[in-house]
Amino acid sequence: MRFRTSISSPQTFFRIIQAIEKLQKKCIIKFSDTEMRVICNNDANEGGIQVWSVIKVDSIFTNYRIQSNADNEITMLLTAEALLSALKSASTTAETADGDDVVLKLAKKNDQAVLCFEINGTTRLGKSMRVSHDVKIEVMKPTDVASLKEPMCPDPDVHILLPPLQKLRTVVERLKPMSDVLAVSASHNGSLKLSISTDSVKLDTEWRNCTIPRMTREPADKDDENEHDPEKHFPVLVSTRSFLKFLNSHVVSTTTIACICQRHCMILYVYVGDYADAGGVLTFYIPAIIDGDD
Amino acid sequence: MSDSDHDHAHAQPVLKASVHDISYLTTLLRGVNFANRATITATGSGFTVTVEEARTLLATAYIFADIFDEYVYHSEAAPSQQSQDDGVDNVAFEIPLNTLIECLNIFGTAGTHPSSTTSGAKRWKKQGEDKGSDEEEGEGANNKRRGIAQYFGAGPEKSTGMRLTYEGAGFPLTLLIAEEADGPTTACEIVTYDPEPHLDLQFRPDKMILKIILKSSWLRDALSELDPSCDKLTFIGNPPPDGVPPATSGRPSRNAEVSRGTSTGKPMLRIHADGTFGSTEMDYPNDRDVLETFECEQSVSFSYRTSHITRAIRALQNSTKTSLRIDSEGLMSMQFLMPSPSIKSRAGADAFIEFRCLPLEEAL
Repeated sequence: MRFRTSISSPQTFFRIIQAIEKLQKKCIIKFSDTEMRVICNNDANEGGIQVWSVIKVDSIFTNYRIQSNADNEITMLLTAEALLSALKSASTTAETADGDDVVLKLAKKNDQAVLCFEINGTTRLGKSMRVSHDVKIEVMKPTDVASLKEPMCPDPDVHILLPPLQKLRTVVERLKPMSDVLAVSASHNGSLKLSISTDSVKLDTEWRNCTIPRMTREPADKDDENEHDPEKHFPVLVSTRSFLKFLNSHVVSTTTIACICQRHCMILYVYVGDYADAGGVLTFYIPAIIDGDD
Repeated sequence: MSDSDHDHAHAQPVLKASVHDISYLTTLLRGVNFANRATITATGSGFTVTVEEARTLLATAYIFADIFDEYVYHSEAAPSQQSQDDGVDNVAFEIPLNTLIECLNIFGTAGTHPSSTTSGAKRWKKQGEDKGSDEEEGEGANNKRRGIAQYFGAGPEKSTGMRLTYEGAGFPLTLLIAEEADGPTTACEIVTYDPEPHLDLQFRPDKMILKIILKSSWLRDALSELDPSCDKLTFIGNPPPDGVPPATSGRPSRNAEVSRGTSTGKPMLRIHADGTFGSTEMDYPNDRDVLETFECEQSVSFSYRTSHITRAIRALQNSTKTSLRIDSEGLMSMQFLMPSPSIKSRAGADAFIEFRCLPLEEAL
C-alpha cells in the first residue's frame, strides 16, 4: 500500500474539511486513482446529516501516486479535527505553494499508520523551515469499505439553485434560537422559502427568482401534474441545527443546488470551484423530520 | 370584544407603520431588551415599549411616530369610549421582545450588536472630547453611527426596510421585512398577549432632590467598570460647594480646578459599589464638562441593586446624554437621549429611553 502526493491547493483541501468538520468527530477518506471521497455517515450524529463528497484528484493534488491491493484504493478513518489542524498549518505556511511545498504520504510510525504532512515554508525572515504533521489513521478493511452505502433517495420533487450560503446562514442563525425545526420549501418557478412556526412566532423568509437548473436526466414519467403548477411549493422539515451545519460549507461553496424530496430528505450539492468545471462536489443528505400532520 | 369590532379592526388596522431603515428602531428596542415580555402601548403620536423586572425596575422606550416613514393609528375604541379613557387614547399589547428583535434582525442588518458598538463608541468619545457644544456632539455621534453601519454593510444604500401591522386585540403583530428591492423578503407573525398591568412608578418632579445631566459615556464607563460581584450600588449626591454653581459657571477649567479642590471631602456625585471582595468608589468632579447640570439641595444617598442599574448599559451605549433624577422616596429616573441617525427625524423629537428603579429597602 503506497500513497504519496503533493498538495497543490492546501487552501481548498482545508476548506473542504472545514465544511464537514463540525458534523462528526471521525470521517472517512477514500483515495482512488482519480478521486478523493470524504464521507461522514455516522448515524449517531445529530439530525442524521450525512456527507458524501467526490473531489477530483487534479483539483487539489499533483504528483499523485497510489497503489494498493484493493483496486488501488485506500480507505481510512481519521479525526477530522487533527486533519484540519495539519491542513491549517499547511495552508498558512505554504502560502506561496509552487507544487512541491506540501507533501502528503502514507507512513507507518511505531506500528501506527499515519498520514504524514511535510510542509516546506519560509519564515517571516525569509529562512526556510520544515514542518511535519502526523495524523493518526485507521486503514479500513475492504469488507468494511464495501458496506459503505450512499443513502437511497427517491427522485427529488424540485431542484433549486440556492442564494449565497453566507446570506442563508445569517437568516438561519437568527431562526435557530426560535425554532428547532425549519421548513425549507421551493417551487418550480424559483421561489425558495425558509419558514418556522412556533407558539409565539410564524416566520417566512422568501427568495424569489432563484435559478432552477436544467437537469440532464429529466424525471419525465413522474410529477407531471406538479410541473403544471409552478407556484406549488414542495416543503421538507429539517432540523435547524443540521441545516446550519450544512451551511458551514459556505467557506468552500461557489454554487449550491438543493433538491427537495418531500417527506423524505433534502439533498444539497455543494460545488467546489466553478460550477461548470467543478473540482468536486460535496453532497449533504439531511433527513426530513416527519411531522405528525405531514 | 364583539365580532363587529373585529370586522372593524380588520378593515382598518389599529397600527400600521413602515420605515426604510430599521436600524434605529432596533437600537431603541435593544435598549430595553432585558425581559422577554414587553408591553407596547401605541397612541397617535408614537408608541412606547415597556419592560419590567422584579417589580423594581421599569424601562420604557419612547418611540415617536416621526421616526417612521409612515405611521397610521386608528383607535380601536369607539369614539364615545375615547373620552372616558383619561383623554389619552391608546392600545396596548404584550409581545415577546426578543423574538421581535431577532425577526427584525433576520438579515443581520439591523444595526450593530452591542459588543461591536462598544469600541466604536469609545473611539467617538475620544474624537468628540474636544468639541464643545452639544450640537456638535450629537452630530459626531450620528456620523460615527453611520460610519459603523457602513462598516457592517448596512449603510443607507443597503438598508433593510420594514412594514408593521397590528390588526387589534387577539391578532398577531405582522412584520414584512425586505433587505433590498430585489432581495429576499421575510413575513412574520408574532403572537401578542393581553397586557398585564405594569408597576406604577410615578416620578414626582416636585419631590425631586437630585438632578444631574451628564454625557452618557461618563455614566456608561462608570457602570461598565463595576465588578460583577458588586451587588449594591449607592448614589451619593452632595450640594455643590459655595460659590458659583458649576452648571452656570461657563468657564470650565480654572474654576473647576478650584472647586474640585474645596470639595475633596464631599464629592458632588459619588457612585459607591459594595461587593464580596471589597468596594469601589467613583467620584465625578465638579466640572461642567462632566456634570452639565447638577441640582442638589441637601446630601442624598440611595442604594440600588447593581444588576438593575447595569441593565441600562445597552441603552447608554447608543445614547448621547443622560438625565439622572432621584426623588425624596429614592425612586431613580434615568432618561437616555437616543439621537436618531436620519436628518429628517432630527427635526422632531429624538426618541429616548427611561429607566425607573426603586431603591433597596434598607436605604429608606
